[in-house]
Formats: sequence, C-alpha cells, structure tokens
Amino acid sequence: MARFLLRRLIFAILLIVIVSSGALFLTRLAPGDVTANLGAFAPPEEVARIRARFDLDRSAAAQWGGWALRAIRFDFGDSFLYNRPVGGLIQRAAGNTAVLAVAALSLATLLGIPLGIISGSRRGVAPMLIRGASLVCLSIPPLLTSLLLVFAASRTGWLPAGGMTSVNAVDAGWSSWVLDVVRHLPLPAIALALPIAATFERLQSQSMAETIHQPFVVAALARGVTWRRLVIGHAWRASLRSMCAIYGLAIGALLSGSFVVEYITAWPGLGRLMYEALRARDIYLVAGCSAMGGVFLALGSLVADLLLFAADPRVREGQSA
Amino acid sequence: MKRRLLGSVVTAAILLGGVVFWRSTTAPELVNGVATPAATRGGQLVGSIRAVPRSFNRIVAREQTTELLSFLTQGRLVRINRSTFDLEPWLAESWEASPDGLTFTLHLRPGVTWSDGAPFTSGDVLFTLQAVFDPKSESVVANQLTVAGKPIAATAPDDHTIVLTYPAPSGPGLRLLDALAIMPKHKLEGALAAGTFAKSWDSATPPSDMVGTGPFLLREYIPGQRIVLDRNPRYWRKATDGTQLPYLDRIVLQVVPDQDAELLRLQSGDLDLTQSELRPDDYVAARRAEDQGRLKVLELGVGPDADAFWFRLKAEAWKNDPRFAFVSKPEFRRAISHAVDREAFAENVFLGAGVPIWGPITPGNRIWFSPNVLRYPHDVNKAKEILKGIGLEDRNANGIVEDAGGNEARFTVITQRGIGWYERGTTELRNRLAQVGIALEIAPIDNGALIKRLLSSDYEAIYYRPLLTDLDPAGNMDVWMSSGSGHFWNLPGPKGPGLPVEKPATEWEARIDMLMAEQASTIDPERRKAIFNDVQRIFAENLPALYFVAPRIYYAHNARVRGVTPSVQRPPALWSADTIAVSGAP
Repeated sequence: MARFLLRRLIFAILLIVIVSSGALFLTRLAPGDVTANLGAFAPPEEVARIRARFDLDRSAAAQWGGWALRAIRFDFGDSFLYNRPVGGLIQRAAGNTAVLAVAALSLATLLGIPLGIISGSRRGVAPMLIRGASLVCLSIPPLLTSLLLVFAASRTGWLPAGGMTSVNAVDAGWSSWVLDVVRHLPLPAIALALPIAATFERLQSQSMAETIHQPFVVAALARGVTWRRLVIGHAWRASLRSMCAIYGLAIGALLSGSFVVEYITAWPGLGRLMYEALRARDIYLVAGCSAMGGVFLALGSLVADLLLFAADPRVREGQSA
Repeated sequence: MKRRLLGSVVTAAILLGGVVFWRSTTAPELVNGVATPAATRGGQLVGSIRAVPRSFNRIVAREQTTELLSFLTQGRLVRINRSTFDLEPWLAESWEASPDGLTFTLHLRPGVTWSDGAPFTSGDVLFTLQAVFDPKSESVVANQLTVAGKPIAATAPDDHTIVLTYPAPSGPGLRLLDALAIMPKHKLEGALAAGTFAKSWDSATPPSDMVGTGPFLLREYIPGQRIVLDRNPRYWRKATDGTQLPYLDRIVLQVVPDQDAELLRLQSGDLDLTQSELRPDDYVAARRAEDQGRLKVLELGVGPDADAFWFRLKAEAWKNDPRFAFVSKPEFRRAISHAVDREAFAENVFLGAGVPIWGPITPGNRIWFSPNVLRYPHDVNKAKEILKGIGLEDRNANGIVEDAGGNEARFTVITQRGIGWYERGTTELRNRLAQVGIALEIAPIDNGALIKRLLSSDYEAIYYRPLLTDLDPAGNMDVWMSSGSGHFWNLPGPKGPGLPVEKPATEWEARIDMLMAEQASTIDPERRKAIFNDVQRIFAENLPALYFVAPRIYYAHNARVRGVTPSVQRPPALWSADTIAVSGAP
C-alpha cells in the first residue's frame, strides 16, 4: 500500500508540473498578452512596466525557469487582475470549488447511480424516461443549464440567483454564514451535477445491463435469490468496477464544467478564477490555477483507485500479492 | 347600506394605496442637482461590478472598478459633472485664474476632514501632486496632468489655499484636475518616502487602513465576491435642506462577471443597478421589466463613443502590396462611406437604437460635436463612380472591382469575437460593400489578439471601438496627433533617443497636428471650438476612419432607486452616489 501511495504521489507531482508548465507556455504563446487589459492605446511606458513585472520581456524559457524556481518555494507569482500573490487567491478559490464539487458530486452520485440501477435492471416506461432525461442532460451544455437555472431562480425567487453568500453576510455570525452558503449552493451544484449524474446513470445502466446477464447472476437467480437482493447485493457490486474508474474522470469533469457554471452563477471558485485568468491572459494566475487543477485531478484519481481497491477484491489481492 | 359602506372602504383603500404608491415612486426633488427629501435617508443599495479592483489607489491604477471606487471614496478639488459636463467646485469651493491662464488660486472648502477625523488641508493636495509626478510612483494620471510636456507646479500659501502654475496655457485649464483624486498625506507620506507608493493601497490592504473624503468608506473586500462600502459619517456635503449626505447607509458591489447573469439578477431585484449601459439586445427585456414595475429604464441620449471601420494607413506595413495605392486615397474611403446606408446600419446593427454619424465626435459629446462636417449620403451609384474615378472597375465581371493591374479590392477585416454588434456591424459592412464591388472577409478574433495585431500594424482593416478617454479633445491628443500612441489608423514607430522623429504621413495630418496643438493651448472656449470644428472637417474629408452610427444609450436600474443623475459615461449612476437613495427593501 505504501509503494502504491508513493507511486501515486510521484504521479501527482509530475501531473502538476506538466499541467502548470504547459498552461504557462500556452498562455505565453497565445496571441496577445496581459497588457491588452490596459486598453488598445495605453501609454507605451505603462505597457513596458507591466510586461517587465510579469517577465514578458524575457524569453518563454527564461520566464518559465524563473517561475519554476520561485514555485519550488511556493511563490507562484502575482496575478495581474487581482494585483496580489496567486497563492492566496488559489487557496481561497480552491476551498470554494471543493465545497461546490463535493455537493455536486454527492448530488450526481445520489441521482445517477440509483437511476442507472433502475434503468439497467428493468424494462418498461420508467427506464425509457430515465434514459431520455439523461440524454437531455448530457446534450445541454452547462452554460445553458446555468443560465436557465439563474433565470428560474431570478423569476421565482426560491433560490439566490448567484454568488456564494448574500449581501448581508458582512454582519452575519459564523452559523448564519454557513446557512447562507448552503442556501446559495443548490443552483451551481445542480448545474454542475446534472451532466455528471447523467454520465453516471448511463454508465451504471450499461454496466448493470451487462452484469445482469453474467452466469453468476443467472445462477443466483436460479438458486432463488430475490430480484431486489440479486440486483443490489450481487449485480450492482460486480458492476462497480467501471463506476469507480469513472470517478477520477468525473472530478476532472467537475473542474472543467465549473469554469462556466462558476462564471455564470458568480461562484467564487477555481473554475471562475481560471476562466477570468485565461480571458485576461493573466499568465501566473493561469499557471497557478492549472497547478491546483492538477492537484484536484490527482486527488480524484487517488479517490477512484481507493474506491476500486475497496470494491474489487481482485485489485486488493493483486496489491497484496 | 352595506354595499355603500363596502364601496367607501374600497375607494378609501384605493386612494390610500395610490398615495402610498405615489409617495414611493416619486423621485426626490432635485435642487441644484442634489436630492432633498430627508425621508429617503438610510438603506442599502446593491450594485454589480464585472471585474475586481487591481488597486484602491487611483493614482496608480486606471481600471473601471478602481475609478468607480475613487468616485465613491475619494474627493477631487474640482469635478466634471458627468451629466452636464460642467466644471463644479468640490473640495475646492472657489478659484481665481490669472489673465494669462497660467496661474490658478484655489480656495479649499473649510471644515472638510478625512474619514478618520484628520483635517483635509493644502498639504494633502501638494502631497498628491508630488506622488503623481514621482517617477517611482508609476502614476497613471501623470500624463493627464502634464501641460506642454511639463508637470503642473503647486504651492500652498496657507492650509486652505493652493496655487497651481501651469507651464503653458492649457485649454482644459482646471478640468484637468478631475483626474486627480486627492490622497491623504498622513497615511501615505511614509510610502512615498520609501518609494513604495506604487504598491500602497493595493487590493490586499485592510479596509481600515484606508481613509477618504468621499461619501463612502471601504468596509470589506472579498476578492472575487464583493466590495462593501459604508457611509462616511464625516462626509462634507449636505443637501440644500441641510440633510447630511450621502443618503445611503451602505453600498454593496457584487462581482458578477457575466453580463447575461447580471441582467437576470437586475430583473429579479437581486441587483439595484449595474455599472454599464444596456446592450441593444437587452433593451426589450428591460422595458418589459419596467412595464411590470420592477425596473426603471432611462434613455441617456447618444453615446459619446462609436464603432469605427478603418484601413491600416501605414505605408511601410503594406510593403509592396499594390492595394495600398488605392487604400491610401481618400476617394476610396469616401466611396465606402457612400456605400453604407446608415439608417439601415442603425436598424440592423443597433436594433434601431442608433443615430447616423460622419465622424468620431458624436452628438453625445454636446460641447464638441460639429454638425457641419462633410456628409456622405447613401448612394451606391455615386460610390461606384468614385471608385471608377480612381481606376477601380470590375474588369473581369466577377463582382469585385480591381485596378488596371488586376489587383482586387478584397480585404480581411478583423473584429473582436463575441460582441454582438461588432459581428452584426461587419456583416452589414460586407453586404453593403459587396454592392459596390469591394469584398470583405470577416475574421472575428479574441480581444487580446486584436490589440496585438492593431499595435503591430498586422492587419488590413479593423472594425472596433477606439474609446476616446476624454470628452475634451485636448484629453485625446494621443489619438489626434500623428505622433500619438493612440493615432490608431497609422501608429507611429518607437520613440527614443537616437531614433528618427517621424513626420506626419500626409499633409492633412500635419494640419491636424498644428490645429490640435493650438487648440490645446488656447484658453478662449469659443476659439477652441472653432479650431476643433476645423479638425473635424478635415477628418471628415479624408476619412482615416469611417464612422456610421452612434448608439443610443439606455440604462436600467431597480424601480426603488431614487435620485440617479445618469451619465452617458461610465459609471452611469454611481459617479454621483451621494445623492442616490432607495425606498423599501431590495
């Protein structure tokens, strides 16, 4: 197990270095730079000052070298947009995204898995409806879902139409603040969870449909095991392997989906920060957000492996051997 | 009897309701621009901003949010009223100018204090000017406060008097000081002495460290989420009835980066106002919300800025491209102007909310607009005739005109991707110019890439909105002067010691250079206007950039907001936040 975790840690570090360096190079090579934010006709001396501050007057390799050396000391440079160190911004935004991601992943799991079990193990109208709903959720881009939900929230007033806390939170105590966050959570969480729930449903359904025709399931049925016990106790557990594998990818998808959802719903998370940074060519903020994205992906992958480890005895046996 | 009683009760209720409704919807009476009723004191206004502030120090940052916060938290010596464009006394209550226009003696308003109670004195003004012109400060307003290449000098005979000496006569005179937010010496002199003024009051500074003479104080800033401002209890300004301003207790500015989400939240009542005008596409939805009593939509008039279409007129950038032979001719551009139906342009591009224009100064800039410039009525035949006159004809009957050497009038026009009216504008242009045989291929690109290509003269034609930073032409010398960094149709090369000084590319640009220099140093307003009319006339004759339509500006705010004095400039409402009030809960 220790060797497994060590391998995972090395993989995570490599992933973070590659992703953040790649992001830095791509941002540097893309046409235009951060000085475009000063406007088309900013005074040349101001443009030169900003270019020097963000090392844009050096070669891409020299810039990367300087940034990497500083990053080893956990100094990820300054953000142009926020005019403050990237580290603190990412820390705060990652926390907010983690809250949203956990809520969305929980919602996607609670919706997708049971619906997938039903649609994969039954025939009739209900599975058809579930399949149809999943296809709709998969087809609608998160941008549209977010806008529709913001529209619905603004029309009905049932939920806050955006943000993470309400405007009166400035005077609120800690417990009121938590309640306020919980009230703001459903809208972005639903927008983010729907396509993932649909993915879970489709995969679970397919996996269940395949497992249910396996000889061991047929044998159990012949032994007189009830249908419900057969589905939950035997077929579902056996079908979990592919679901566990998809969990790591789902966490990655949560992050990429959150770009748009956080932007539209004004959730101050990592996705929105990265989106703003990309639009503004805020080079060190892009690199920092990408590094944190790498952390999320590595964690997702680790969670998926651990789940697989717990769910599949063959994996456990393989590890111990 | 019962029925009559019921009728009376219903009538009374309707009347009472009517009175309550009338009281809650009647705007406060404005006396000299200041809302008066004390009944509207208190309350919280929720606005939106699209981007976070880079700094709270207006001397070192120019972004829209920093500018907005400087309106809310800081004071200026004099202020340009964004609604009337008049110069108003602010922290300086009066002034005298010397006959030669070089010296201004300003008398500071007595009894003004900073929000922490420290007295506001002429020392603060001297300190601010010192900070502006200190090279280590990295000031972004130094250029605006420089006259004939030299800084304005200041002395303080006493605590309440400032004497400003201009190095040369300046057309805008004291209007230049509108750019100068006065900073507190007692808080920032240490930073200036240590050479760290550029970093002082950055966005990480605790709100309690910052003080101001504006109507509000920074209470809280959560990056990416919101800025909270509380009323400054020591604010100096009072309404004419003696009510202490500002009316509001608090302003909350929520960060809402997406404009669609911003509009939805405005319609739902989640936001009271925004910092930008309505897009043409949003007008109908806002009007519908107004009909339902949720929003109030204001027509602010014609905007001072308009989209332009221009060809790169930098000869060396075309290298040996034979098309420059006709692109460089004013007749070619005049033909294009004739080819465009401006009424249809307003209808198709701005959905009817626009007025035809023939130059960069729109009717929205009431002081400087000249209606007497050359106009080019829509006339396709005339356009074709002009093109023929410069040797451009469709010789091979493929629908595109070419010169005698067979070089077609075919161009790629770049524009900013994702902006609805840019995309509609280029499509309209392509269709209209096709009728006279000029082919345009549209290439929408990212704003950063567009700016890079513009600055490196790596384009053939552009459709974009080059914003004029100031309504006064003397504030836009960088655009008008051929040596200016904003002379967008023919950007000058790098300047510096050892580098050759570029001459104006054309005779008419040399003439504009001369007129603009004269205009900027002329004190007589009538004479300035006459000179600038001449500049607009030359521009319209030579058309280095073509302007077709100026948008009408509409602004929407929640119906509970009172006392807004709207401006066609940004921020449309909060430039005068101290007189804004709200009625009822959000």
